[in-house]
Amino acid sequence: MMAIDPSLLLQNIVNGVFTGLLYSLVALGLALIFGVMDIINFAHGDFVMVGAYLTFVLATTFMIDPSLTAFITMPIFFVFGIVIYKLIIERVLGAEPLIQIAVTVGLLMVLRNLALMIFHAEPKGVPFTMFTQPITLGPITIASSRLVAGIVSLVALGLVHMLLTRTKWGIAMRATADDREVAELMGINVKRVYAVTFGLGTSLTALAAALIMTFSRADPYLGLLYGLLSWVIVAMGGLGGVIGVLASGLIIGIIEALGITIVGAGARELFIYLTFFFILWFRPRGLFGKR
Amino acid sequence: MPGVLAKKLALTKERLYGLIGLAIVLALVPVFLGFNFYYVLLATNVMLAASLVAAWNIIGGYAGQLDLAASAYMALGAVVTGHLLASYGLTPWIGMFLGAGLAVTVAVLVGYPTFRFGIKEVWYALLTSALVVILMRIYYLIYGSFETYIPHMEPEWLYLSFRRYEVYYYLLAAMVVIIIWINLKIKSSKLGYYLAAIREDELAAEALGIDVRRYKLYALMIYAALAGIIGGIYITLTGILSYRLFDPWLGIVTAVMGIVGGLGSIEGAVLAAVILRSLEEYLRGAIGATYPGSHLLVYGLILIIVGVLKPEGLASLIRYVKNKLFYRKREEVK
Repeated sequence: MMAIDPSLLLQNIVNGVFTGLLYSLVALGLALIFGVMDIINFAHGDFVMVGAYLTFVLATTFMIDPSLTAFITMPIFFVFGIVIYKLIIERVLGAEPLIQIAVTVGLLMVLRNLALMIFHAEPKGVPFTMFTQPITLGPITIASSRLVAGIVSLVALGLVHMLLTRTKWGIAMRATADDREVAELMGINVKRVYAVTFGLGTSLTALAAALIMTFSRADPYLGLLYGLLSWVIVAMGGLGGVIGVLASGLIIGIIEALGITIVGAGARELFIYLTFFFILWFRPRGLFGKR
Repeated sequence: MPGVLAKKLALTKERLYGLIGLAIVLALVPVFLGFNFYYVLLATNVMLAASLVAAWNIIGGYAGQLDLAASAYMALGAVVTGHLLASYGLTPWIGMFLGAGLAVTVAVLVGYPTFRFGIKEVWYALLTSALVVILMRIYYLIYGSFETYIPHMEPEWLYLSFRRYEVYYYLLAAMVVIIIWINLKIKSSKLGYYLAAIREDELAAEALGIDVRRYKLYALMIYAALAGIIGGIYITLTGILSYRLFDPWLGIVTAVMGIVGGLGSIEGAVLAAVILRSLEEYLRGAIGATYPGSHLLVYGLILIIVGVLKPEGLASLIRYVKNKLFYRKREEVK
């Protein structure tokens, strides 16, 4: 193996940190849904994919910056999430895991192939964004779109953390996650908490999708990548709340960056999934889990 | 002793006649298709799906584990068989068993950590889904995007290198019958009863002293070996080795067929594979060019509907028809 240029390594790690922040945001919605509702959602990555296409359509139709479309797509996705919850998820609450997985895999196939039917297989990118200028700091250059994506993700994670710890809604959510029946006895409307959690988790994917679209393109196969990635982060984070998701996302981002530096871009997913494998083998409750 | 062996191989009369009937029907299919090149190829593809789903039924239906890596085990069997054949001229009759051996090894590596007691089912499903991508990446790192072609070799039977599809059809149809027979044997064996107990209530099974992890692993190993052998036959049919063999979708679709067929029902699983695979080919031909992906969209819709409304799938329908036909007077026990 060749010696690795230290400045290139540093550059890639910095990139990895900002990518990792974005990955945390992608996984946050899934962690909420899985943690609070105990629903196994395999279609999470495909919500990101649908969000990416919606961003593309809105940005190119109204000629607005892809990052700004989040203000429109997030409310739409909140409603979309609640509709999906009412139509499908509510009926499999408490069902065997196998049935939950089967139903959400069905949802995944519908969403992905709908995207394939409407937009065909060629990736669709938004040709304009206000974040094009790279920012240089000493030996490190970072694309401003990545920087903004990372910072916005961090802010969003902070806001969700505040929501969960400081507001009545957040406390109701955490209480439901801890013990559904006791929460019900305390006068919490569990069904409504579930609907809102699913809506919130889904609308977070719309924000992530808008940020992804500032530097990447939408294609029907995004879902598999982001779906598995989110689950890896949730597995690593255990049920350790927002902090666990953030830490796991950063670790995954850095591992990915190191994999690209050492082996090459082809090894990108390989290292992430191998990490997943070893986490399940040695720390099945996650690195930051409580239970 | 031959008597003991015969007893071990035997099935109940009803099942045995059913299996013989199935074998006769499958044997006649190419005749009804008039030995048409294209239709026989389609029938071969249907048999491929049916045999894979029948093998999946062991881990998915009986052991209740949502395995999404059918294509990974099949592709491992295929690449081992194919590369040994193309590079060293090793007969696929040996290669497919070596491939099956590798598939079993990989399956145990995946199953051992995730079948540990108290780990949620979701991690197994995810890890198997990731496994297909992991193996695809590894293959890609070794062979790149190059495709390796297996040349035509003589003698045909030794190298499974036929110019017509009928032989492949019969090989895969034989696999379908054999795998259904294995399914039926497992169902009425100690392993089958243990797996049923594990599927119903893992905690209770463990409390009764069943080594849950070991029996899940047995089911997984049988399934992976069968999928590897199917892959070995499949590669002699297509003759093209590429990283595309590791197809995450095929793994998911296999599980879909098994679930739609009704978990744990081998008749339902095979029937679902035959119906859905034929429907897929029809849709691909009819509207696939204008609306790519429409056949998979239909899979998704069916899966949601079955999951939400009727988790027992096609099997409940089969039971209903069977009761109407054969046991009109007897009350259904199940």
